[in-house]
Amino acid sequence: MSARVGTYLAAPVMAFLIALCVTPLLILFAYSFFRVDFVAISYDPSFANYAKIAGSATYRGLILKAFGSGALVAAITAVIGYPVAWFIAKRAGAMKSALLTLLLVPLYSGDLVRVFAWRVLLGAEGVINRSLIWAGVTDAPIQGLLFSPLATHIALTYNYLPFMVIGLWLAFESLDDAWLEAAADLGAKGPSRFARVVLPLTSPGLIAGGLMVFVMVVGDYLTPQLLGGASGITVISAINDLFGTAFDWPLGSAIAWTMLAILMAFFALGAVLIRRSSLVGGA
Amino acid sequence: MSRAATFWVWAVFAFMYLPIAMIALFSLNDSKIMSLPFSGFTLHWYADVLGDGRLGGGFLTTLSVAFLVAICATVLGALAALALSFYPMRGRGIFTVLLLAPFLIPKLILAVAQLILFNEAGLPRSLLTVIGAQTVIVLPFSTLVIASVLIRIDRGLLEAAADLGASGLSAFRRVVLPLMANGLLASWVVAFVLSSSEYVLTAFVSGRAQPLSVLVASDFRFALSPSLNALAVMIVFGNIALVALAELIRRRAGQARG
Repeated sequence: MSARVGTYLAAPVMAFLIALCVTPLLILFAYSFFRVDFVAISYDPSFANYAKIAGSATYRGLILKAFGSGALVAAITAVIGYPVAWFIAKRAGAMKSALLTLLLVPLYSGDLVRVFAWRVLLGAEGVINRSLIWAGVTDAPIQGLLFSPLATHIALTYNYLPFMVIGLWLAFESLDDAWLEAAADLGAKGPSRFARVVLPLTSPGLIAGGLMVFVMVVGDYLTPQLLGGASGITVISAINDLFGTAFDWPLGSAIAWTMLAILMAFFALGAVLIRRSSLVGGA
Repeated sequence: MSRAATFWVWAVFAFMYLPIAMIALFSLNDSKIMSLPFSGFTLHWYADVLGDGRLGGGFLTTLSVAFLVAICATVLGALAALALSFYPMRGRGIFTVLLLAPFLIPKLILAVAQLILFNEAGLPRSLLTVIGAQTVIVLPFSTLVIASVLIRIDRGLLEAAADLGASGLSAFRRVVLPLMANGLLASWVVAFVLSSSEYVLTAFVSGRAQPLSVLVASDFRFALSPSLNALAVMIVFGNIALVALAELIRRRAGQARG
């Protein structure tokens, strides 16, 4: 009887999500097979849009660039976040929940404000450039600071680091220190304890955090747009243009679904990897 | 090693707060130029923002949208959290995936998909479409907040209520609901904050009445100025104050049980 209660409770939520999340994505999928005929959409299905994407060096390049950025930022946040997560889980003591809260607070300022803040810091008229000129370090603003891949990746790292730290922190919380003592008793030195005990046991967190950061970087529209300048053209901004000025909804839909399909494949792979690595941890 | 780690943690937290600290600092500096020699303290950038009628109108739109989104997300989030953590249900796995999907799908892709839906359904873009769209992406967070309160409630209390002759409904109304009330309140506040600062989705599905985030997006995009700093600082501190409030409420939900 109570299994029914849960199902009834979930039903309105399910209906809402199907109406405003699943249905739109299915219509988007249908659109990806249509084409634009002058200024109207012609409902005449074909694989032409997908063929166009596969045959276009530009779109292939943009997709690869998105995945490159995602992987790069996932790696940077992992390196920066690993010691932080370890410290919060194992060394912070009474400060643990304060540190976790402090880590998440900047996320609530909203993406627009965060990107704006980086423009204030890095812009040609911004704090760093103006102050360097005032201090006499340079005569003219360093243009490469803003509107560059560097600026974009600094801000992307800033945006998504907390998610990586949370993923790793969960893994460190479930890491039993007895494993380390046992390894030490058996004569393992520091680096080998790290490589053969700590790293494998925290790898589920690394994969989960990495996947989360990767997906969010790939899907980020604002950050490259506002900080990347000419380098800020991404596959996501290409979708935006196709739905706006370029008016080719079907092609935009096909690119969007290409991205969704690849991201779903990454998730499936991640789930398999996490399951396998937690099996190693449990053994 | 521990000292190096402590230093590293401090450095990372400094990095996380550097941009906010900078805009806060220069929003109080009495100069149009954002550069290091400080010219003196002023509040007139804040006065500029507060006296701006266009921003004031957008702010009111944001408040009314966020108010309603927070209610919708909390009601749906409560149903979802109850189904996931309190009453067993069929199809739990697929339900969880469906709930989390809006968080992981690139927002711009969800935005264009909803744009097509509204277009096909002949729904004009309005604040109503904004409320629907925002509720979808706020829902995973409100569910999480409420579930975090629900999992701390002792199931024994439900059994005790049943033993004392309470029906399922009255046990819920008189035992579970009072215990989860703080979770609902915390979820409402978190949803309010997330809704008010959302931009990408909102920009796509809003019509003529534009919330604050859409209104200031082009300013943020093209200009740097101390009054924009002041505006950003007010948004950040408003949000942080509300989130702190929500966290306080959520923790008290735990203590009352303990």
